[in-house]
Amino acid sequence: MTAYLVAIATLVGIRALVTLGLNVQWGLTGLVNLGAVAFFGVGAYTAALLAVSGVPLAAAWPAAIVLASGAGAALAMVALRLREDYLAIVTLGFGEVLRLFLLNETWLTRGANGVTGIPRPLHARFAGHYDLFYLALVLVSVALVYLALERVRRSPFGRVLRAIREDEVVAAVAGKPVFRFKVQAFALGAGVAGLAGILFAHYLAYIEPNMFLPQESLFVWLALILGGSGNNRGALLGSVALLGLLEGSRFLKDVIPFLTGVRLAAVQQMLVGLVLVVLMIRRPEGLLPEKPGAD
Amino acid sequence: MPPIAQYVWNGVVTGGILALPAVAFSLLWQLLRFPNFAVSTYLTVGAYVAFVLNQGLRVPIGWSWLGALVGTAAVALAVDRIAFRPMRDRRPFSLAIASIGVAFVLENVVRFIWSNDFRSYDVPVTRAMEVAGLRIGRDQLLILGVAVVLMMLAQTFLRRTRLGIAMRATADNASLAAVKGIPTERVIAVATLGGGALAGGAGVFLGLDASIDPLMGGGLIISVFAAAILGGIGSAPGALGGAVIVGIVEEVGTLVVPPTYKTAIGFVIILMVLLVRPTGLAGGRT
Amino acid sequence: MTTITRRQLLKTSTAAGLVLGAPAILSAQSKEPIPIGTLCPLTGAGGSYGPDMQKAVVAVVERINKAGGIHGRPVQLYHEDDQTNAEAGVRAARKLIDVNKVVAIVSTWASAVTLAVKPLCVEAKVFLIGVSGADAVTQGDHKGYVARTQPNTNLQGRMYAKFVTSKKEWKRVAYLALQTPYAVSFGDSFTGVVKGAGVTITDSLVYEDKKPSYRSEVTRVLATNPDLIMLGGYTPDSVVMAKDIYKAGYKGAILGPSFAINAKFIEGVGPDVAEGIWNMDRAPLFDSPAYKEFSAAVPRGDQSPYAPQAWDQMSLVALALAAAKGEVSGTAIKDNLRAVSNPPGTAVYSYADGAKLLHEGKKINYEGASGACDFDQIGDILSAPFSVQQVRKGKSELVMNINP
Repeated sequence: MTAYLVAIATLVGIRALVTLGLNVQWGLTGLVNLGAVAFFGVGAYTAALLAVSGVPLAAAWPAAIVLASGAGAALAMVALRLREDYLAIVTLGFGEVLRLFLLNETWLTRGANGVTGIPRPLHARFAGHYDLFYLALVLVSVALVYLALERVRRSPFGRVLRAIREDEVVAAVAGKPVFRFKVQAFALGAGVAGLAGILFAHYLAYIEPNMFLPQESLFVWLALILGGSGNNRGALLGSVALLGLLEGSRFLKDVIPFLTGVRLAAVQQMLVGLVLVVLMIRRPEGLLPEKPGAD
Repeated sequence: MPPIAQYVWNGVVTGGILALPAVAFSLLWQLLRFPNFAVSTYLTVGAYVAFVLNQGLRVPIGWSWLGALVGTAAVALAVDRIAFRPMRDRRPFSLAIASIGVAFVLENVVRFIWSNDFRSYDVPVTRAMEVAGLRIGRDQLLILGVAVVLMMLAQTFLRRTRLGIAMRATADNASLAAVKGIPTERVIAVATLGGGALAGGAGVFLGLDASIDPLMGGGLIISVFAAAILGGIGSAPGALGGAVIVGIVEEVGTLVVPPTYKTAIGFVIILMVLLVRPTGLAGGRT
Repeated sequence: MTTITRRQLLKTSTAAGLVLGAPAILSAQSKEPIPIGTLCPLTGAGGSYGPDMQKAVVAVVERINKAGGIHGRPVQLYHEDDQTNAEAGVRAARKLIDVNKVVAIVSTWASAVTLAVKPLCVEAKVFLIGVSGADAVTQGDHKGYVARTQPNTNLQGRMYAKFVTSKKEWKRVAYLALQTPYAVSFGDSFTGVVKGAGVTITDSLVYEDKKPSYRSEVTRVLATNPDLIMLGGYTPDSVVMAKDIYKAGYKGAILGPSFAINAKFIEGVGPDVAEGIWNMDRAPLFDSPAYKEFSAAVPRGDQSPYAPQAWDQMSLVALALAAAKGEVSGTAIKDNLRAVSNPPGTAVYSYADGAKLLHEGKKINYEGASGACDFDQIGDILSAPFSVQQVRKGKSELVMNINP
């Protein structure tokens, strides 16, 4: 049982990182991003392809983060001038286009075959307790990123971002280069998602394009809104709650016998949809609402 | 006949199928002020309603199609009452997210009842006719014909009838229209019924052209979006034109770009339109 | 004659009962169930294939347990849905391995899932056997813990090529592949062999899954004037593709895999469109007792291309455990698999027969419902005969067999 829980906790931690990244974009700066999975995928694939070609991880990992941030900056520069419901579809589309790219450009990404044999960092050193080591690695990453983002939130940069979220026009009038800040925030969030992708790729040792479906972006969204958008604690709580919901319902079928197979999966996804709708109607601020003026 | 004309025709047919949900999407967006992602699932719902009638109760396909219009309209109204009405005053983005949730729920209700197995209607498949070197199918002409007729009906409704004019007024300026005595909720109800019916009808066409499964509507959402935005939000003829253009570009695009990138084409169209001319061709609201 | 009092009778029979029943009471304590997991796609892209595979495994286990289990121990199945998604598959496999402590995972389908789950199984020494077709499944160092009952793409490509080149009227062939690891590598294998025999590949196109129409893909392919269109996909997309090909007016030949061109396909496209479509696949041994038992036990099982394989996979795992003389683990399975599946040995067609002979110390060779089930060193099945069918008047009829 413990190995199972360790595995689930590792995946929750990785998801939580993506959610923290999304929080920088949406929670802090008010930028819609329904394509978080794209930056997750860029990070994962860059790290995987470099590592498999023999590039040392000390070089591959920073490269992956830089590329993910760069992709975020590029999308931001093109799309962030759009109104938020337009931005929603553009970012969603971007996620899907990236997946198609991963599928089609087989010369680079190996297409539908995926990338196998991704090396596991420090495997020899920790063999025997490797899953625990990896869990620790992920948790440490989450903790470090959380602390760093909390500091960003309290910093002058963070205050500007929040001002932009509240009222862009006022911030512009106050002389802030609003657009530049937005791009930076977006790129930062993308970089964090890219880091999550790196950890994901090395954990599974195998990645393929259909692991990066658009609905993954929606799940990250749901986690953030559920936990309380606008704050990092909410991001963590939401990730735990969401995966708990999804994994916990797996055990439902051991208790309710007729709820098998397709039906169970349909019920699980229906629950996700219902939670989303109910949340938006009743409690859009989520479980842990941000305290106004929090500093 | 150079093959490109065949691609153009293929695109026109695709556009005909996209046009109905695109119009529904576009008009509802202008009226309710948010992109309703559930519209693509209304396609699925419509296809299954007709399936139950046609295969389950042995109703001929024409009547099953009408049944789909009615059934989907009812579902759309129920969704509006339950999910969107409590949120009338919220920001559009929250409604968009809620509509994604609705789409999830509808798709999985369908999956719960009918599983993932794909289904077909009880209708024979016919070969295309050769007309001026092009292959044109009888059913394709029918679909296009019905789409155009429905478009004209929608336009007439919006321009000539009191309720239609009231709808446009509410879309333009809801508070002013309400002050003038226009029953906002009634207008929304009619628009929702109409939009649901259009999408449901398109779902049956899609089921005839391809096959019926829970994911059938979801695959079109990007193309529908592209068509609505290209045509200009709020314009029915714009949505029709946008749908045909999106269809043609997607199909002709396969000459240039591998067919597996078709969805990407829709996305590129959306992006370009939004950056260059967000009001679209027919100039709706920005 | 002495009369026996009631009391005496009662005493004697109780004593007798205790004496006779004692072994049963004692051995009940060692009747601990053997945990085995199924990881099928019950939802997602493979969702129409998973349920039948799972049913086949359940049916085999019912028979095993009725026959007294494996060394007296019943088999306990744990089912999980991989949602045709590699990450979900990993989470499900983790649960099967760590919570349910299974010694084997059978009946995986998607190559992506099998590839993602493979390292977990190898590390945990859990035996993994499925139907996934991608080359990478049996490659790499899996230490013998992986096997599959599906012919690899190399074998499939060669067999299809053999059939196609035998038809002299098919000189120009176009191949339409769905975007999966299997379809693409199969295409490479097939086109390689076929080109060498003087056949022209006029077009080779990969198409996206879940599209409502493939009009333009079809237009492009037909513009190259093929005599034969080869389909490489699954039933849902093949239905749409076949309809589009028909509507476009193509009158030439079409060939596809039987697991796609099956009864559901014919029902989906209608007899007019399906008429004359060729389909081939590794031939299940229709005449074998194993196949007969399978189709009697699994309703509509003969319409599922993978259910016979799932049946065999479970039977093989059980027989390998039976041959392991008491040790119950993934390692025991891997060590004994080929001993029960490959010749030499007396041919057996079910767990019950095989277990009996193993108990008597004999060597067996399981011949299954899906084929002879003989494995090579890396877990692929050795060559298998293929059967070629053609749809005539709404049903697929056997035309010929192709031997390797």
